[in-house]
Amino acid sequence: MSSKDSTKRTLIVAFSLCVVCSIIVSGTAVILKPMQDANRILDRNKNILSAAGLFDSQQDGDEVVAERFSQFSTYVIDLNEQRVLGEEQLEQLQIDIDGYDQRLVINDPNYSEALERQKDIANIKRRVIYPMIYVVTENQEIETIVVPVSGYGLWGILYGFLALEGDANTVKGLAFYELKETPGLGAEVSNPRWTALWPGKKIYDEVGEVGLRVIKGQGSGDYQIDGLSGATLTTRGVDNLIQYWLGDDAYGPILAQLRETGLQTND
Amino acid sequence: MSSVKQILLTPLFENNPIALQILGVCSALAVTTQLSVTLVMCVALTTVTAFSNLFISMIRNQMPSSIRIIVQMTIIASLVIAVDQFLQAFAYEISKNLSVFVGLIITNCIVMGRAEAFAMKNPPVLSFLDGIGNGMGYSLVLIVVASVRELFGSGSLLGFQILPLIENGGWYQANGLMLLSPSAFFIIGFFIWAVRSVKKDQVEAREFRMASQSTPDGAF
Amino acid sequence: MGLRRVLDDIEPHFNKGGRYESWYALFEAVDTIFYTPSKVTVAEPHVRDGIDLKRVMITVWFAAFFPMFYGMFNIGFQANSAIVAMGLEGSGDWHEIIIAALAGHDPSSIWDNFVYGAAHYIPIYLVVFLVGGFWEVLFAMKRGHEINEGFFVTSILFTLIVPPDIPLWQAALGISFGVVVGKEVFGGTGKNFLNPALTGRAFLFFAYAPQMSGDSVWTAIDGFSGATPLSQIAAEGLPAIAVATGRGLSWLDAFFGQMQGSIGETSTLAILLGACVLLVTRIASWRIMLGVFFGMCATATLFNFIGSDTNPAFATPWYWHFVLGGFAFGMVFMATDPVSASMTSTGKWIFGALIGFMIVLIRVVNPAYPEGTMLAILFANLFAPLIDYFVVKANISRRRARGVL
Repeated sequence: MSSKDSTKRTLIVAFSLCVVCSIIVSGTAVILKPMQDANRILDRNKNILSAAGLFDSQQDGDEVVAERFSQFSTYVIDLNEQRVLGEEQLEQLQIDIDGYDQRLVINDPNYSEALERQKDIANIKRRVIYPMIYVVTENQEIETIVVPVSGYGLWGILYGFLALEGDANTVKGLAFYELKETPGLGAEVSNPRWTALWPGKKIYDEVGEVGLRVIKGQGSGDYQIDGLSGATLTTRGVDNLIQYWLGDDAYGPILAQLRETGLQTND
Repeated sequence: MSSVKQILLTPLFENNPIALQILGVCSALAVTTQLSVTLVMCVALTTVTAFSNLFISMIRNQMPSSIRIIVQMTIIASLVIAVDQFLQAFAYEISKNLSVFVGLIITNCIVMGRAEAFAMKNPPVLSFLDGIGNGMGYSLVLIVVASVRELFGSGSLLGFQILPLIENGGWYQANGLMLLSPSAFFIIGFFIWAVRSVKKDQVEAREFRMASQSTPDGAF
Repeated sequence: MGLRRVLDDIEPHFNKGGRYESWYALFEAVDTIFYTPSKVTVAEPHVRDGIDLKRVMITVWFAAFFPMFYGMFNIGFQANSAIVAMGLEGSGDWHEIIIAALAGHDPSSIWDNFVYGAAHYIPIYLVVFLVGGFWEVLFAMKRGHEINEGFFVTSILFTLIVPPDIPLWQAALGISFGVVVGKEVFGGTGKNFLNPALTGRAFLFFAYAPQMSGDSVWTAIDGFSGATPLSQIAAEGLPAIAVATGRGLSWLDAFFGQMQGSIGETSTLAILLGACVLLVTRIASWRIMLGVFFGMCATATLFNFIGSDTNPAFATPWYWHFVLGGFAFGMVFMATDPVSASMTSTGKWIFGALIGFMIVLIRVVNPAYPEGTMLAILFANLFAPLIDYFVVKANISRRRARGVL
């Protein structure tokens, strides 16, 4: 047996290799983590701004994001209790608003729940109980509300943000940032030419039900939006997503509160 | 000097890892819808191949043969994780587009293949250059595939609109097949066809020849 | 014969070493169009038969005339009905110049409908024939094989499975892909494992999905939109299906082909007439056709039986699957392509049944694709050699067990 194949030698090589490699790997991970987190938040804020029509990835650079996003205040809401959480409750739930990422806790039973089949209109199986909403206020008046939405399209779940005007009834914009739909067909939901159809549409009809529909063919009036031609199932997915998230089980009551009493946290 | 040049240039056409050895095809299908994403992937793979070759060659004489493959894998995996972390920190958008495919460089046969076939037998500098060369051979194919796919699938190159799309008031009808992974198979196929029409020695020998039915000379 | 002498005189120029050597394929094509080739089989085994590849192909070509002529009529019928119902002036594009010169827009006039359809169909056919023929000749010259009559079949079948409103450049692109990638890269006629016409159609299907599977291409009027019965079923179920003008679609309408769809696929009756020609001349395999048919019936019935609350397509019975979409056309003209189908008799049954099964599976279960005939046949094409392999293996082991071998 040559010296290099001896058991002792093998153990030494294996051990030192492990030490060196783990130092390299953990070193890069630790040193770069702050930058990665900043990137993640920057990316999320960009998506929120584009839903509200305040950011255009073709023209605007990253440098404007921080400034434009500074007018937004972030709140965490409780979908089961239908209230905006105050600081004390956040502390109880161990939610730190700056570091909280609702996409990461989707499988954590403390923060999310499985949906019953007949209630799961958007076909998402699980939802986060405490989603974050983003609100712009000017002189105590709510100007913009941005809520995260998600729903199953054709091949997978679409994730996006829906922005509403201060009346919590008029659509300001819609932007999807993650989807698996067919390029050229369903994936056109993120085409600016299609999302441009949304601003100005009304959500709730006279009796307070969700009246906004995404329909196949020629949509008209305040409550209808043209579906994408050739993408029936993606269109239906977006329609379901609107019905679910703006309905009574999700943001409906919270939006009604915001409309009637303004923004109040329950401390 | 000629051997350095040879190490760097043969993997481009003479012995291309994708076109001749048919290695590393899976990422060629997955990351080639946009040229900018492809370029980052190429840099990542070339870096990993070069440095894994370098490090493996440096310790090749110390490496016990019983744990050879594990040692190689560990080095490659560490490099890949480091590269992935760098991308997430400095090129977040692109790293989001690449998703798992940076991580999958670990399983890319080109990296492992060069480590085992070249770096174990050659000195560090030559091994490093061999990694660069093979990375470039891989990159060449990916860049060709990505250029075709982005140009015909989205009418743009590196994000700049070259063929104005009908949807945006232009004349070009985007080819949706180019945005789906199987199109990369066709393009790689055409690439291999082109390389082999020039370099006939790469064409495999026929396994059999059909006899002609109407002329006697081929039949017997 | 003057022509024979002319051809014989110039032949040496085209033979090996002659001045126009690389043009031999074209010379050979012209020669065999006018005269039966004098070549005979020299290698074993010999088969004495009055039918050769050329005659096979021409018979298929003629059989495809039934759906083709009906298709031309139906393009016009659908479009003229819609024109009258919507009070339009005409087709709204360049075709109108030709149509207006020859006929009007009365949906009850066979002539008007036929002219309208011909004005749309003939340009498609010419483009497909010329572009596809160009590739065929180019490869024949470069590769030194002969130009094959199979191309007549590929070209006509390809034109019959595209929507009537297809842009001509897409037709050209589709047939180019079908001929080059579906056939020539594998060595030409007889060596391809996919059906070239379907390969071209699949290329268009994936490349230009909004046009090829959207609602606006099925009636040859500019800007007119109407879904095919199959996409209506996928969306709302069988009771919802209606023709473009809004009237409900009866089973007999569908059987006779009075609905929207790809040019040659609408009329099951016309396709069955073509099937009779193919079966009487024994060109197409009855085993494959029956295999497809029974595979479809069994799978459709199975899905009826399973049922589904959320997917209305589960309830579609077999006799509707039979008359809608490309099923009949695929069964008669595409699945029976002898090159890409299984060769063994048992294999043909399995091959056919696999197609029938896949068609219903894709139509019913996959929400993205209301039609599955094209994909099902291409899928089964891939399995044809494997099916044959196992059939042959099973034969060998059965005989060995009997002690005969």
